[in-house]
Amino acid sequence: MTSASEMRPQRTDPAGESPAGRRVRIHVDGVAYEALEGLTVLQALDDLGVLGHGVDVPHYCWHPKLETDGSCRMCQIEVDGETGLQVACDTPVREGMDVTTQSERVRRARRGVMELLLVNHPLDCPICDQAGECRLQDYAVAFGSPHARTREPRRELDKRRELGETVLLDQERCILCRRCVRFCREITGTGELGILARGDRSVVDVAPGEPLDNAYSMNVADLCPVGALTTRDFRFKARVWSLTSVPGVCTGCARGCNVTIDVEKDAVQRYVPRRNDEVNDTWICDVGRLSYRRIGATDRLSAVRVRQPDGALGEASFDDAIARAARAIREAVRDKGPGVVAMLASPHATNEDLFVLRRLVDGLGVASAGAFVPQGDRDELLVLPEKAANAVGARALGFGDGAPVLDRVRGGGVDVLLVLGHELAAAIEGDANGLAGLDALILLDTHASALERAATVVFPTLHAAEKHGSLTNHAGRAQRVVPAVGPPAHARADGEVLFALGRALRLPGFAGGFDPDGIARELAAAVPGFAGLDLDALGDAGLALPLAGRESA
Amino acid sequence: MPHLPLRTGYLTEHFADEAYGGLEGYRAQGGYEAARHAITTLGPAEVIAAVDQAGLLGRGGAAFSAGRKWAFVPRDRPGPTYLVCNADESEPGSFKDRMLMERGPHQVLEGALIAAFATGADTTFVYVRGEYAESARCLARAVEEAEAAGLLGDDVFGTGFRHRVVITRGAGAYICGEETGLLESLEGRKGLPRRKPPFPAERGAFGRPTTVNNVETLCHVPHILARGVDWFRGIGTEQSPGTTLFGVSGHVVRPGLYELPLGTRLDELVFEHAGGVPAGRKVKAVIPGGLSMPVLPAGQLDVAMANEALRERGTALGTGGIVVMDDTTCMVRVGCVATGFFRDESCGQCTQCREGTGWLHQLMLRIERGEGEPRDLDLLLEVAGQIEGQTICAFGEAAAWPVQGLLRHFRGEFEAHVHGGGCSHTASFALPGLATGPDETEAPA
Ligand SMILES: Cc1cc2nc3c(=O)[nH]c(=O)nc-3n(C[C@H](O)[C@H](O)[C@H](O)COP(=O)(O)O)c2cc1C
Ligand code: SF4
Ligand code: SF4
Ligand code: SF4
Ligand code: FES
Repeated sequence: MTSASEMRPQRTDPAGESPAGRRVRIHVDGVAYEALEGLTVLQALDDLGVLGHGVDVPHYCWHPKLETDGSCRMCQIEVDGETGLQVACDTPVREGMDVTTQSERVRRARRGVMELLLVNHPLDCPICDQAGECRLQDYAVAFGSPHARTREPRRELDKRRELGETVLLDQERCILCRRCVRFCREITGTGELGILARGDRSVVDVAPGEPLDNAYSMNVADLCPVGALTTRDFRFKARVWSLTSVPGVCTGCARGCNVTIDVEKDAVQRYVPRRNDEVNDTWICDVGRLSYRRIGATDRLSAVRVRQPDGALGEASFDDAIARAARAIREAVRDKGPGVVAMLASPHATNEDLFVLRRLVDGLGVASAGAFVPQGDRDELLVLPEKAANAVGARALGFGDGAPVLDRVRGGGVDVLLVLGHELAAAIEGDANGLAGLDALILLDTHASALERAATVVFPTLHAAEKHGSLTNHAGRAQRVVPAVGPPAHARADGEVLFALGRALRLPGFAGGFDPDGIARELAAAVPGFAGLDLDALGDAGLALPLAGRESA
Repeated sequence: MPHLPLRTGYLTEHFADEAYGGLEGYRAQGGYEAARHAITTLGPAEVIAAVDQAGLLGRGGAAFSAGRKWAFVPRDRPGPTYLVCNADESEPGSFKDRMLMERGPHQVLEGALIAAFATGADTTFVYVRGEYAESARCLARAVEEAEAAGLLGDDVFGTGFRHRVVITRGAGAYICGEETGLLESLEGRKGLPRRKPPFPAERGAFGRPTTVNNVETLCHVPHILARGVDWFRGIGTEQSPGTTLFGVSGHVVRPGLYELPLGTRLDELVFEHAGGVPAGRKVKAVIPGGLSMPVLPAGQLDVAMANEALRERGTALGTGGIVVMDDTTCMVRVGCVATGFFRDESCGQCTQCREGTGWLHQLMLRIERGEGEPRDLDLLLEVAGQIEGQTICAFGEAAAWPVQGLLRHFRGEFEAHVHGGGCSHTASFALPGLATGPDETEAPA
C-alpha cells in the first residue's frame, strides 16, 4: 500500500545487491533478511525492495526520501523483547531482531490510529480527487474504520486554500503528516510551508505573501498521502481508477526523470514522478511535469506533406513522400557527391532512431552531420541545462554540435538537408530564409515550426511517449520508453521514416522494417559505448551504459 | 512574590530572609562553599558518584536519578556540552520552582554550577516559564552578582573552569516543559518534542550533549555535597531520599508550599499541614502530583508521598503539586478541565495525542451536559488507552492518566451524569473559559 510514486521497483534478488556496509540478520514475519546496519526497520524493508512487495507496514509520515518524522504513529510493529509496540520508521535494525508486522495487537493499534485520524476527517471520498489512491481510504478498508463511534462535530477549516499558483490545499482533509512541509524544507530548501497553531487546531499553511512557488512545488501533491493537496493542473480532471498508467521518461531535460504517464481516452492526463533512486529519487520538476501537454498539443504534425508545383505543401502518401525525399538525395549525390547532403539529428529522438540515421549518414558518405541541443537553466536538484532527453545518445552516435552544419548550409555548400526535430528553428531564430538556398529540406518532426516554410517533404513523427526505444540521460543511463498513447494520424517513428528512406536509396543495412528491439541489439554490438543495450533488459529502471560518466556540462 | 513556605527544610529555611536572595546573604549561610569544594578539590566523577549515592531523584516529574543522568553525558566529545535548567514549571498545580528562583536564586545557580562541572558543561541555559517575569529577574540579578564575584566566568574559583549562565524565557506552552520540546524552543523553533533516541545526553541543545534538570533537582545538589550522602539519605525514604516542596492547592484551609521529606503521608499533608478542607465539607479527591497524575479518592490518602508507594495506588508523585477537592466538586467537571487543558496544550505532532485529546475533551463535555451515553465511558477509556504509550513524548500519558484515574475511582459519578441526564452538583465550580468546541482556533503560532 505504498503509493506508486514512491514505491521502489521490486528486486528479483533482494539480498544480492549489497553495497558496502555491514549487514545484520533480522526476521520479519518469520522471513530472514540481511539488512544494512544503521537503517531503521522501514528503511531496511524499503532498501530490500520488500516494502509493499510482500511486507506491508502502513505508514503516512515516513517517506523514503524525507527525514524520519515519527509522528503519524501508523507504522507500529512488534519487536520481540520489547514490551510496547515500536514505530518501524524510527526503530533501527539490529542483529537478531525479530519483527512482527501483522499480529492482532499491531492491527488493533493501527485501527486505533485510523479511527483517530478519521475523527476529524471529512467524509468527502465521493468528491475527492485522491479517491482511488488515498492511503487513508486504503487503510480504512484494510483495518476497518469505526466512523460510527464519533458523534462529535468535525473540524471545519478552509477547504480550498490556494498555497500558490500550482497547488491547492483542503485543510479539512489534511492528516498533518508534514510530508509537504518537510519536502519544502529538506528537498527544495525553500520552506514555504509550515504548520500553524498546535494540537487539533494545527493547519498546514503558507505565510502571507510567501506562496508555495518553488520549481518543484507540485511534488507536494504526490507526497500527500490523502487528498489534501491537489495540483490545479489535475484537479477534477479524471478519476484515478479510470486512468491507465504507463512507465515513461520525461523529455524536458537531460536528467530523464522517470515518470508514470497516466492516460485516459488515449490522451495523457498527467505525469507523476516514478521512483528511480539513480535518476530522480521520487521527484520531478514542475516544468517537466507539465511537459506532457506537448504530447497532445494542437500544433502536433499529423500529415505527410510534400511541396507541390504551386509552391504549397500538400498532403501526400508516405510512399510518395519517401520517393520524393529519396529522389532529392539520390540526384544531389549523383550530380555533386555526398558532400552536398547534410543531416541534423534530434536530441529528442531515441538511440534507435539515431542509429538508423547514423547508418544513413554512413551509407551515403555524408560528411556533414550534427545536432542542436536546446540550452536552458540548471538547478541544484534535478534540472539540467540541456533541454532534451537524448543529447548524450546523439553525441555518442557522432552527432556533435550542429553549428558547423548550419555554417555550411549558410555558405551555400549544402543542397539537401535532412532534419530531425525543430531545434534548427531556434538556431536560425525562426528565419527560414536562411534555408532558401537548399534544393530540398527533408523534415521529420513532431510539432509545427518555422522550418515547414522551407521544407520540401514533411514527415510527422512520434513523441517519446508514443514509441518504443531508449533514451540516454546525462549520466549515460539508457532508459526505455514505450507507447503510452497512440500517435497522431500518419505519424511514425523517426527510425521508421529513415529506414524507409534508406531502403528507397538501396543502401546496405535497410532490409526489412524498423524494429527498435533489433536495432538496439545491433547498436549494442556496433558501438562500444552502447554495449549491453537491450530494450527488454532495461526494464523500468534503466541501465548504465559503458559510456556512462561521459557527462557533458 | 509568592507567600513564603509554610513549612521549611534545608532548601527553604532562609527564604524569610530577604538578604538570602542576594549574593552576600547567600554566602553568609555558607553559599557557594559546596561549589568551591566540588570544583577546587573534587573531580567530576566524584561529584557524580556522590549525587548518585545520595539517590537524588529528579523533581521535574519523571523522578529519574540525577547521578545516572549526569553519568550518561559523553566526556570525550570535542566542542561544548550544555546544562539546561528546566524552569518552565507549567504543570497545573505546581508552583515550587518559582519560589526557589525568587527566594533563593543563588541556590539554583550553585546547583547548576556543580552540575555543570560534573557534566563538563560550559553553559547553563535556564529556561524560565514566560509568565515568571519576576523569577527571570531574580535569576538575572543573581547571575550578574555571581559574574562580578568570579563565581561564573572564565576562571571559576581560579581553577580555569569556565562557565556562563544564560537566562531564556518561554512563551507560554506547557509542552515546552517537556525536555526536548524545551530544547526546540530554546533553539528558536516551535516547541515540538523530539523523537528519542537520541537522548539529550547525546544530542541536546544545538546538537550538543546536554543535561536537563529541574530547578528543584539542582537546588538539592549543594546540600548533598555540603552535608554528605549519609545526611541526605537520612531524610525521606530508602528509595526516595531528601525533602521536596509539596505545593498544596484547592479546597484546603492553608494552601501553600510545604517542604517535607519524601514519604510524608498524603493525609498528613492535607489535614495537618494544609489544615484540611473548610468546615462542614469533606475531602472527596486529591490529585497527588500535578494535573497529569491520576487522582486518588478520599479513602486512599493513607499513602506515603513517594513513588514506590504511590505506584501501588496507580498514581505517581509527579511534581508534588497536590490538588485537593472537597465534596462540592463534580468529578466530571474536573475531567472537563483536565481534558480541556491537554487538548489545548498538545503540540499536535502525534496522531493519537492530537486527535485523541480533542475527542476526550468533547466526550467529557458531552457527558457533563447530560448528553452522554453509557458506552461513552468505555470509549473514554479506550481513547485514553490509544494515546497512552504510543506517542513521541510523555504528554500522551499525561493526557491519558487523569481520565483513567477519574473513571477508576469515580465511575459511578460519570454513570449518574449519563443516566440522570446531567450534573447534580449544583454548587460545583463553573467551567471557566475552556475550549468548548472544535471551531475554537488560536492565533497562528
Ligand atoms: C508534558 C511534559 C511537561 C513537562 N513539564 C516540565 C516542567 O514544566 N518542568 C520540569 O522541570 N520538567 C517538566 N517535564 C519533565 C521534563 O521532561 C524532564 O524530565 C525534567 O525536566 C528533567 O529534570 P529532572 O530529572 O531534574 O526532573 C515535563 C514532561 C512532560 C512530558
Ligand atoms: S497536506 Fe497532505 S502532505 Fe501535507 S501534512 Fe497534510 S496530509 Fe500531509
Ligand atoms: S528535471 Fe528534467 S527530466 Fe526531470 S522532470 Fe524536470 S525537465 Fe523533466
Ligand atoms: S505526545 Fe502529544 S505533545 Fe507529545 S509530541 Fe506527541 S502530540 Fe506532541
Ligand atoms: S510512518 Fe512511522 S510514525 Fe509515521
